[in-house]
Parts: sequence; C-alpha cells; structure tokens
Amino acid sequence: MHHIMRAAPIVAITFVCFAQQSGVAPAQSPAADATKAKAAEDKAKRNVQIFENNATAPVLYDRNGKRIGSAGERALYEGLVLSPDKSRLAEVKVDIQKECIDIFVRDLATGSETKFTNSATREFALGPVWSPDGRRLAYTAMPGGEEGIYIRSGDGKGAEQLVYKNPGAFLDLSDWSLDGRMLAFAKSDLKGGNLYILSVEGSGDHKPTEIFQTELQLSAPRFSPDGKYLSYSVTDKANKSEIYVRAVDAAQTGGPWKISDGSSGPAFWRADGKELAYTGPDRSVMVATVATTPSFTFTKPKPLFRPAGAVPDRIAWISRDAERFVALPQPRTQSLNQITIFDRQGKPVQTVGEPGMYSQPAFSPDGKQLSVVRNDLNTGHEDIWTIDVASGKRTRITDDAFSRAGPQWSRDGKHILYASGRNGDWGIYRRAADGSGKEELLFQYTPGAFLGYNDISPDGKYVIAESGGVILAVPLTGKDALARQAVEYLREEFSDGVGRLSPDGGLMAYRSDELQAERGEIFVRPFNSDGTSGSQKWQVSKTGAAAMVHWRADGKELFYRRLDLETNDLTVMAVDVATTPQFKCGAPKALFKLPGPIQGNLGNVSPDGQRFVFAVNVPETTASASGTAATAR
Amino acid sequence: MANKFRNLFAAVFLLILPGQASAHHNMTALFDFNDRVTLTGTLTKVDWRNPHTLMTIEVRSADGQVESWLVEGPSPSFYRVRDFGKADFEGAVGKTVTVEISRARDKSRSGLVRTFKLPNGKTLSACPQNC
Repeated sequence: MHHIMRAAPIVAITFVCFAQQSGVAPAQSPAADATKAKAAEDKAKRNVQIFENNATAPVLYDRNGKRIGSAGERALYEGLVLSPDKSRLAEVKVDIQKECIDIFVRDLATGSETKFTNSATREFALGPVWSPDGRRLAYTAMPGGEEGIYIRSGDGKGAEQLVYKNPGAFLDLSDWSLDGRMLAFAKSDLKGGNLYILSVEGSGDHKPTEIFQTELQLSAPRFSPDGKYLSYSVTDKANKSEIYVRAVDAAQTGGPWKISDGSSGPAFWRADGKELAYTGPDRSVMVATVATTPSFTFTKPKPLFRPAGAVPDRIAWISRDAERFVALPQPRTQSLNQITIFDRQGKPVQTVGEPGMYSQPAFSPDGKQLSVVRNDLNTGHEDIWTIDVASGKRTRITDDAFSRAGPQWSRDGKHILYASGRNGDWGIYRRAADGSGKEELLFQYTPGAFLGYNDISPDGKYVIAESGGVILAVPLTGKDALARQAVEYLREEFSDGVGRLSPDGGLMAYRSDELQAERGEIFVRPFNSDGTSGSQKWQVSKTGAAAMVHWRADGKELFYRRLDLETNDLTVMAVDVATTPQFKCGAPKALFKLPGPIQGNLGNVSPDGQRFVFAVNVPETTASASGTAATAR
Repeated sequence: MANKFRNLFAAVFLLILPGQASAHHNMTALFDFNDRVTLTGTLTKVDWRNPHTLMTIEVRSADGQVESWLVEGPSPSFYRVRDFGKADFEGAVGKTVTVEISRARDKSRSGLVRTFKLPNGKTLSACPQNC
C-alpha cells in the first residue's frame, strides 16, 4: 500500500474542495438553531419518502386464495389482528412524523376507524390480541419507559388495566386463550427465548409462568382452543424458522412436535382445534390437520394457497374459523427488479439475466461479472450469486438462511467479501468467487452489534467495516479470525460510514453527518499504514450524499449518490479528484438521474467509471411474462 | 409474530428512532434490566463519541466513600435531533446529576442509562432504546 505522508502542515487547497481540520466545533446559536431547523425540515421530507416507499394497504383473502377486498388505508403497519367475529381489525400503525406506534380499531363493514391508544413521541403500543368474546383488547405499551401488558375495552372507552409490568422491552404478546383466562407471550434476546403464560383473572400486577426456555429465538405462542397446547415459532441456529407445538403442562408426556418444514409466519389454530395454519417459506398458506384429544397429533402440512403478486402478499393474520386471511401487499421497495447496466449519460445499455428480487449488484474488478444478493421467493433465502455480464449465467456463492449484506469483490477478483449475521454475531466473511471451497470468517465483532462491510485495502492487509457510526480498519493478521482486533479508524460524535479506500490505499472516502444531523456528505481523509486516520480532511460533496461511494480505478474520479429528499430519484454524481501529491477535488457534477425507488450501493460502478449497474423495479406484467414470477396456486 | 417478521416491522420502527439503528452491542447481554439503580452524584467526565456516549459520575456511598460509576448513554446521533445536546452534558460537568441505570450484569460500577436528570431539571429518557 502506498501511503502518503500526512504529518506536514495543512496546505491550502487551490481546488474547490474544502480542506478542514478534524474536530470541527459544532455550530453555535443562532447558526445552531438554523441547522437544527434544516435538519427537522430534511427529516420531514425523508419521512415522506419512507412512507411512500414502505406504506401498503391490507387486503383480505378467502380460503380459496381469492382476494375479496381491501381492509384499510395505506399505512406503515406493525401488525393486523382480526376480531373473533371478523367484524373489526386491530391495526398497529407507525406514525413516522410523531415517532410513535399506536393501535387503531377498524370496523370492516363501515370502514370507520377508532384510535385505540395514544402513545407519546417515541413511545409505542404493540401486539394487540382480542379477548375471546371480542369485547376487550390486550396489548403492550411503554408509557414513561416502562413496558407493560394492558387490557382495555375494545371500543377504546374506559380505563386501561395494567396486568403485567415487564422489566425490559419488546415482549411478544401473541394470544388470549379461548377460555379468557390466560395470555401468552414470548421474550427473546441474544441469550435465547422464553415462552410465558399470564393469568388475567383478578386485579393488580400478575406474575407470568414460564412454559419453556431455550437458547434459540422464540416468538408467537398461541393457545390451542382447549388451552392444552401452545404453538410457537422457533428460529434455529441456522436462522431457519419452524413451527412447533408443545404442551402447556410440563408434566404431560410427549412433544414438542415440529410441524413445519420451514415457515415465514406464526401459526394459527382453527377454533375447532382441528387445523393449524401458517405461512411457508414461499409465503404459501400451509395447513396441518391436528387433534388435541386424547393427545396431540398432526398430519404433514399441505399448501392451501399462495397469495397473489409476483412477490406474494404477506399473510398477517388468519381468522379463527380459518376462512379469512388478512394480508399486506409488498411495498414499492419490495417489487421484482431487473439488473440493468447504464452508461454515463444514464442510458440503459444492457439488462443482465431475468427479473427477480435482486439487490446490491457490484462489478468485478475486470468489469465482466457482477456479484449480487438474490432473494429466492421459494425459500426466502437471501444468497449471494455472481452473474456473467455477457451471458447472464448465474453462479451461486452462498446457500443458507443467514442474512448477508454488502457483497463486493476482492481487488484481485478471486473472492466475494460480505458481512453476515449469525445468531446475533456479525462478522466479515469471504468466499471464493467461483463458488468453490468454504466460507471463511475474517473478523467477528462485538456480540449483538451490527457490522457493515465497506472495503478491503489494495494490499489486502485491512478490511474496512462500519458499526454504530464508527469506521473500523481490521488488520488481517494471524490465522485466528476471532483474535483479530479492529482499529478505530474514525470514531467521533458524528455518524461516519461507507469507508472506501483510494486505489493507492492512501486515502479514505467516507460519508459523515457532521455538518447536519442525519444528512451525509462525502469527505476524504488520509489512511495511515497502521489503520488510523490522518488529521487532514476534505469535503467533497456539497448538497448531501447517500452512499454509493466509489473511486475510479485510476484514482481520478469519485462517484456517489446525491441525497434527493424531494423525490425518490437517484442522481449519480461524479467529482474529478487527484490523490497525489495531495488530495484535490473539483466541483461535483450530476451525471444522470433515474426514477426511483432504486438503490445505489457500493461497487455498482465499473472500475473504469463508464458503466453503472442497478436493480431496477419492473412492472408485474413484465415480470410475469418472464416466467420467473410467482403465481397463485 | 415470528422473529423474522417482527424484524421486518422493527426495521420500520428503527427508521423513526434515530440512534437505535446504531446500537453497538446487545443490551440485554451486558445489562440487567431487572437490576435498576438510581445514582445521584457529580458528573465528572463526558465522552461524546459514537457508538455510545459515556459519562462518569462520582457518587458518595452510604459509608461515605466516593465511588466512580461509568454510565453508557445513547449515541451522539440520538441527541442531535432532540432537545438535549452535548453542551447540556458538558455544562453539567462538576454539577449534581441523577441517573437511573440498568446495572451491568458483571456487577461492576457501570450501567445503561434509562433516564438522566441534568442540574437544570431537564430529564432525558433513553427509552425505548435502552429500556
């Protein structure tokens, strides 16, 4: 790696980029007030975009898999729960402007809606479950920072009753037993999961009874109609979700029983206790015939129907008679897309492969291949593939249920590097680009902390990663990946990330929100041979930047995605730069604009800076014609 | 609701909670939410950097000894979009503050901030992130 000496005093840059000293003091009033006002204005615009890209309106299906109507307005839903008589829908909706979550109750016959809870800013109400007579709702809320389970009349009138005060947060309240006596909830964290039942009889704070504890993640416990069994979801060490059933009474012999072969949603008992339904990995509704007397038995689950949509609607709730299914169509950001290559003028010059659910395409160093994350609609897995640009031929690189983020090629093109989370532990991994061999862990970070992969140094000595607003340089020394310690390249009061090393390895381009909260700009700093940062700093972008930072292979141009808060458009920006004898940069210029929503990511610019690859949303009709789309069974 | 789906929803929730997305480690693994401690003492040091702010508080124990507690607050980003800021905390150095924490599981004199009351009476809640 070629390192430029950075100890010399700062020399005034005659180019247009701003040279700055580190540790710029925050703006003071009244400038501080103006900055805060601008941040609030930007945030409101960003919230509008988040809503537009993620909001969706619930729909109803019948048992034959036919969409029979809508069930509410476009919103950001956290949950949807049908009342026992199917006349009302408890909706959990995010108020993104107020930063809170509340429960609403909608009368499905009239469409009228009643606000059921009134959360303050940064408070929430979650997990509504109806009493068996439909007259009351139990739910969790965190007023004043104290989470509890509350019960209140289903019409929203009268006082709420606190039945359990939870030390901690985000318990998963899932069911109210048919005899009206018990609630069921789960708790899960890095140490594992617990299932509880809670009596709601009498007054005061009730003490839950632990039914089951495991090192795995548990959720969605639901009572069989006779109250003798609980169904629940388990996420195993391989990140695969399954539906299980176990007896509530630990003294009862038999079980637990694994019902599913993969699942993507909680289980629902039919009121007669003869059927258990859940969503499979491909989002089909699966049903198992079950019996709970004299003991639990079940048959192999069969598909009932697969919801509509090239990317199928997601089942959120199944009525107690198993005749109605509440589903959420996919938001705009979750549609099928087509990998498309554009030139510097934004003209599409080539499509690669068939439409699918792709994200994060990145060019290989020779520009002949792409790496990409592909969401398999049949398994729900998000695996990394490589695709030959000329032929469209795909090669699978990973094949499991773990989540992966930010795959990019090593500088010699021999490996794909990426971040991956495994049971709460995030690490940086690599795999041979031809799919051979085994996955290799390069670095594992603090348990529970998200880790993003940014780059690898040209000499292969450092992996660049980010976590919690800190940019890390990980020396790839020794053979024990677990013993490797990260150097904090940049740790300050601002959120820094997206660190990208220059082709000569002497400079780091990165994004920081130091000028305004939650608004990134691109800066460049020296990268020292020990993984630390030099003191000089240059501001490259001027009007906001949203990642996609990329150096041209000859080090003479920097690319990034402009922050477009007014629209969903993606604007690709380019800046002329020089890295020797000292960094210089020109004025950013817009190369082209594409209609959004569309993602720009690291590595999606060809090394020569002439081509840009994006996963572009395609209309469902196009996707269906390609033969890759899912269809209702 | 299965965890995977819960996570989908949580992703939306995270979008509206600045600071939460930069959580750096698993809170429940390090801190015991059942073991809450309220400390009143002198704020002596503030480390205002990502991924978490750190404050040192000198607290006089029942036997008259001065104990040093290290408390972990949300990230600086958490504060930048709220009515509290770095200046509030730096201005409180040398003054009396009251903080409620979830104590570290290793029983060291450290914890995760739930609420922080400044000398001017302003109280910051770090919930739901830290609760």
